[in-house]
Amino acid sequence: MKTLGRTILPYLIAIAASFAAAGIFIAAMGFDVGRAYQTILLTSFRTPNGFIQTLLKFIPLTLQALAFTVPLTAGKFNIGGEGQMIVGGIAAAAVGITFSDLPPVILLPLVILAGVIAGAFWGLVPAWLLYRFGLNEILTTVLLNFVSFALIDLVATGPWRDTTAGHPTTIPIGQGGWLPMLVSNPPLHSGIILAVLVAAGIYVYTSRTTGGYELVATGANPRAAEVFGINVKRMFVFSLVLAGALAGLAGSIEVAGVHRRLIEGMQSNFLVLGLIIGLIARGNNLAVPFVAFFIAVLEVGASAMQRTLMIPVEMVFIVEALVLLFVLLSDVVRRR
Amino acid sequence: MEKQPILELKNIRKTFDKLVALDDVSFSLLPGEIHGLLGGNGAGKTTLMNILYGLYRKDQGEIFLNSEKIEINGPRDALKRGIGMVHQHFLQIANYTVLENIVLGTGITNRYTMQMQPEARKVEELCQRFGLPVELNAVISTLPIGTRQKVEILKALYRGVKILILDEPTTNLTPQEVDALFESLRVMVNDGLSIVFITHKLREVLSVCDRITVLREGRNITTLDRKDASEEVFVRAMVGEQMNIEKSVYFARDTKTFGEVDYTAEPLLRLTQVNLISKEGVARLKDVSLEIFHGEILGIAGVAGNGQQELAEVTAGIIPPTSGKIEQNGRDVTGVPVGERLRSGLSYIPEDRLHDGFLPKASVAHNLILGVHRQPPYSDGRFINWKTVYQNSREQIREYNIKTGGPEDPGGNLSGGNIQRVMIARAFSMNADLLVAHNPTRGLDIPSMDFVYQKLLQRKAKKQATLLISEDLDELMLLSDRIAVIYRGEILGILPREQFDKYAIGRLMSGIRSTEPATP
Repeated sequence: MKTLGRTILPYLIAIAASFAAAGIFIAAMGFDVGRAYQTILLTSFRTPNGFIQTLLKFIPLTLQALAFTVPLTAGKFNIGGEGQMIVGGIAAAAVGITFSDLPPVILLPLVILAGVIAGAFWGLVPAWLLYRFGLNEILTTVLLNFVSFALIDLVATGPWRDTTAGHPTTIPIGQGGWLPMLVSNPPLHSGIILAVLVAAGIYVYTSRTTGGYELVATGANPRAAEVFGINVKRMFVFSLVLAGALAGLAGSIEVAGVHRRLIEGMQSNFLVLGLIIGLIARGNNLAVPFVAFFIAVLEVGASAMQRTLMIPVEMVFIVEALVLLFVLLSDVVRRR
Repeated sequence: MEKQPILELKNIRKTFDKLVALDDVSFSLLPGEIHGLLGGNGAGKTTLMNILYGLYRKDQGEIFLNSEKIEINGPRDALKRGIGMVHQHFLQIANYTVLENIVLGTGITNRYTMQMQPEARKVEELCQRFGLPVELNAVISTLPIGTRQKVEILKALYRGVKILILDEPTTNLTPQEVDALFESLRVMVNDGLSIVFITHKLREVLSVCDRITVLREGRNITTLDRKDASEEVFVRAMVGEQMNIEKSVYFARDTKTFGEVDYTAEPLLRLTQVNLISKEGVARLKDVSLEIFHGEILGIAGVAGNGQQELAEVTAGIIPPTSGKIEQNGRDVTGVPVGERLRSGLSYIPEDRLHDGFLPKASVAHNLILGVHRQPPYSDGRFINWKTVYQNSREQIREYNIKTGGPEDPGGNLSGGNIQRVMIARAFSMNADLLVAHNPTRGLDIPSMDFVYQKLLQRKAKKQATLLISEDLDELMLLSDRIAVIYRGEILGILPREQFDKYAIGRLMSGIRSTEPATP
């Protein structure tokens, strides 16, 4: 209990400090600080709609953050979660549109699986380049994001284009590919269960299994891990492929649960927020879902703040960035 | 008549974070003496001298030079006052010549033409006077360790130091080189220099020093004249009251043997004509053939960097040999990866613990099971049984005296000696048939070294085999049943215990093959 307190305390201080710092800006811009923060923090909990909005943000944020922290456990940086998510979404939509007549029992698993496999493939490419040629994975994962932008553009404006939409969008996927609803109004799809299960699975894997141990050892000191019989190159590849699968799952959940079609730009800024979540969690896979929920609350609160108080939504980005800065700063302070 | 000390350090205190490295330590150096600074690892010897040389800043205390209080703010300051230091790791530029290294950083008469005849004459004169023969135009990288050390001493002498500090100067020297060094030191003090000689080897200080100061755990225990004290007094001062010296292996006479080995049985490990050629095409191991028998400790002696690391890694399966055959218990294990070897009767203590053996970002428990994490009782192959791991980790922390908050503590919090204890605990708890141990006692204090020696000898009783690679010849001669000497990747000779003779081994270490057996 005492250690838990000692772990959480720096976070609370960091959050308080960042809110205080951002408050100065909000006040300087001539807005009511108290009301702004009330909106940011409480929108998620005041109405059912707000809470469900938060959960819907929570799903891709958690998966994106895990797509960053899982390779980080092995000492590798995956900055390609965005591309992996897009490619996962494309594959999910492609399967959902092509086999739109299939019954849900078959089509839904196919749609989800297509996204997972496509995302994993998008993670495999940099992993293979790393394994075979020693290419830096940061570079390759980032660059593959750009390839995915072109790809989604091609698909969303190609033969599957929904001509009635003003934005590059495909026609809907078959009804059998839709994720069942847990709550119909406001709508909450069952992807939340998948996300929570996956997050729990990742935690169990990294902290309890032999493979997870090898992942941690590889990240802690690859040379020593190698000397003591761990195939570190395989761990690198595996962690990046798993990360791709996680991000791909986020893509297929967005398609099958939220949009029911492929929309250009649906990846939003989940990658950057995922990185921030992963870093605030200090790469700890158990902490990721909790931090992700907190960031989701801020995100939902931010939109509400802009609607009701006319405070620019960017203010919340500043808060998020400050939280990260202060958390990192607390490391430095503790080391002294 | 009492001589006035040339140098005095009074009540020095130095802390690193919470660790008190030196606590109220005083030390005085008389003119024209060799003063031994004796103590185990972590006693604070080097820290004290680094403060004197200006590398560390003291927290408290005073320094007096010729009865005048001084502050030393850096090595340049120290040199200006006539204090020089030869470090354990030399600070030399490998592709410069000896002369260039010596004069580097001092004024040169012809600084644009780099003509250095006057400087060369001066250095040559120093070489002659102090019996330190060195070829001045040789490039540093081509020279053996012993010669490079002479260069380091010449560097200090050239700068006109009056006080010379030598930090563990005999590490990596052959016995012959040690004798030559001691002779030079004697010449230097007769010439008016004063010398501080830092070491953990009791026999060395007894043979060369005039006075001896013993440090233990950051305190000075005693300062005695060599002629006034017996060996026992120093031993007791070095190790404290708790250690049982009678039962120790460390202080045992090296004539003692620790059990017979049956050389008629099949060897446990056999290396046949093993060659290793590096990526750059350099031969690292040449036709190495070795046998280690059940219950045997085979020592590998040699100056560091002669292929010891490669021999350890090839034997453990970390790198496959270029050619040759490795058999363990009659089974061909050539090219079998280390992961599988660790599962079938191998354990390994790497030399470079930080780089090759330790996970700083993982917990102590993680570190203690590295390499056996796929084996029962720690794992069923899929899941780690953390309950058992933590339980065993706690036992190992107690048995091996690892100073840590507990199994869940991050490894990065451990000190060097404690990291070494983790390496030791991990290797011995595997209870493997074959142990490859490379400098297993590096960084340990004397009671811990003794503990490791006891553990190594226990393996003999269990008929397990050990390949003990060490830079410490005393350690090898104490523990080994046979000693093989490695020189430039080649085994130049294998001596049985009854033929152990440090000069014979020293000759082989410097590459001189002897055809006739060594005579005392």
